[in-house]
Amino acid sequence: MLTLPKNTCFGGQDTFYPLLKRTMKHIFTFALITATSFLAACSKDNDPIAEYAGQASVTFDAKVGGEDFSLGKAFTIEGKTYTFTQLRYWVSNISFTNEKGEIYKVPASYYLIEENSKINTQDGAYEYPARKRETISLSNIPAGNYKSITFSIGVDSVYNKNMSLQAGELSQLNGMTNISWMWHTSYIFSSLKGSMTADGATKNIIVETGLNTNYRTLTVDFTAPVRISTAKTTAVNFTVDVEKIIDGVDLTATPVIGAGQPAAMTRVADNYKQGAIVLQTASSK
Amino acid sequence: MVIIRNIYMISLLLPAFTACSRTEVNPEPQPYALVVPGNFPAAAVMMDNPLTKQGVELGRMLFYDPRLSGNNRISCASCHHPEKAFSDGLALSAAGVSGNRLHRHAPALINMAWANNGLFWDGGSTNLESQAFGPLAHPDEMFQNLQELTDELNALPAYRDLFRLVFREEINPSFVVRALAQFQRTLISGNSRYDKFIRREPGGNMSNIELRGLELFGRNCSSCHTGALFTDNDYHNNGLDADFSNDAAEGIYQGRFRVTYNPDDLGKFRTPTVRNILLTAPYMHDGRMATIEEVLQHYSQGVKVSATTAAGLVRNGTGGLQLSQEEQQAIIAFLGTLTDSTFIHNNALGKPVLP
Repeated sequence: MLTLPKNTCFGGQDTFYPLLKRTMKHIFTFALITATSFLAACSKDNDPIAEYAGQASVTFDAKVGGEDFSLGKAFTIEGKTYTFTQLRYWVSNISFTNEKGEIYKVPASYYLIEENSKINTQDGAYEYPARKRETISLSNIPAGNYKSITFSIGVDSVYNKNMSLQAGELSQLNGMTNISWMWHTSYIFSSLKGSMTADGATKNIIVETGLNTNYRTLTVDFTAPVRISTAKTTAVNFTVDVEKIIDGVDLTATPVIGAGQPAAMTRVADNYKQGAIVLQTASSK
Repeated sequence: MVIIRNIYMISLLLPAFTACSRTEVNPEPQPYALVVPGNFPAAAVMMDNPLTKQGVELGRMLFYDPRLSGNNRISCASCHHPEKAFSDGLALSAAGVSGNRLHRHAPALINMAWANNGLFWDGGSTNLESQAFGPLAHPDEMFQNLQELTDELNALPAYRDLFRLVFREEINPSFVVRALAQFQRTLISGNSRYDKFIRREPGGNMSNIELRGLELFGRNCSSCHTGALFTDNDYHNNGLDADFSNDAAEGIYQGRFRVTYNPDDLGKFRTPTVRNILLTAPYMHDGRMATIEEVLQHYSQGVKVSATTAAGLVRNGTGGLQLSQEEQQAIIAFLGTLTDSTFIHNNALGKPVLP
């Protein structure tokens, strides 16, 4: 028998108890929906199979212009040769808006989208393995016809100003914060690393964003409403163009962008919001 | 006393073993109410990390436990000694794992529950919880692998049980910093002779020169070292330097500018409290002044004027408050009344028995 904690002291900030409460709430909602649809089913003669809360996948497919993004491969952008070793960013606070304008917020949605080789974090004390992750799988989305998706790049100020609060995939252990960023109390919102060769000279590039002012939220309308329910397989596919991420930033002059380069960092954050991330398909089969 | 506490702890932990039984109520940590001195304002409440008796006690253990460092030899208390009002007596410490000298002077930890406008000398850290990850992880400080730390603490049943009681979950680095923050918020110093004087309590006697110092302090120093806490929790350029063009080491010499990138913040540092100031030499963010006499000399005649120098420290275009030797001595006499011996000898804040 599950007992809910009475201690409201901890209910507001701990990750586990709200989750438990939420789960209980979902179970309750689910039961209510089941009961309602059962009643509805009784009153109709030829009712289709009842539909319940469903799943959706959201994919962020990295590109460089028209080519597929790949680590260690040479790409030409505006006459310069780039070879990348890492692309990582937080996709957070995902929500779906249905045709009636009702919003479903995905709970604890902090997802690390990444493509990187092995990372030494904490100056080599800890190793984060090589990983490619472009797809987020979401479940328990109430059945409905959805017209848009909203999400953010980065971590909202509530979690970004207190690094001991954790939800979703937020962690100190995955290299998305480091000593420099801890001075500012911020997760690294996005990180693009590699090298750039121009006029025979090769420079390492590090393009990072962070700080609350660079948190960016995108709302993307689907071309036609998308059904999410148990009866469907729903997939939302974005492309993320690395060429657009560094658009308007002079990496020859400033190969390292971080908190010390606020203007360039803001430009990169804006690029994520405007232009780099483009909806390709949103389908329900 | 220790035995009594241990019995108390055991009695608290016992129900944990029977928590699975449905008739038992899960043991809950008990709320901890800060003991706020009567002449202090109310402390800010950290809603995300409410204080509990067991959380504070856990934080105290962790604060003094060298297991928190990568080489298991350095604890928070290695640079924050209770007898020095949680400072270390050094200008720039080299006590960290790497042995490299730090760029910044270890600050005293006094009345942290009121420090609500940024931590570190330039205020980049927003709260004690987030701040702790800095020294824990830095190669020149405790250089702890946070995953290893979790494993090391998990190997000790006393920690495992206490974390579970306080946070209701298994040990993770977030809970370590939350517990440390809880303990640090209990580091309250408000029982100096000056406090007794203000509260009209027995022992609150001040001599003529101390009273003269208090009056001079109020006129010359209290615009930054404000109120009962003796700090405005704000950032000022007190004229230590006039050239901030050196942007080495991620802007460490540029003051709060390294956090805000606002040129108006060049050379500004957080106002430290002057409570227990005679225990916390050397002085300034880089510990460059060895004695309190040097500090008073600086504020009297040594203030360097630049675009961001605090206006209150410049008189008729000349840097410094132009205090006489006699006035400086009176202020130092007054500062001595802010030494709080009950704070540095408080057993509840000292080193506990470690698991």
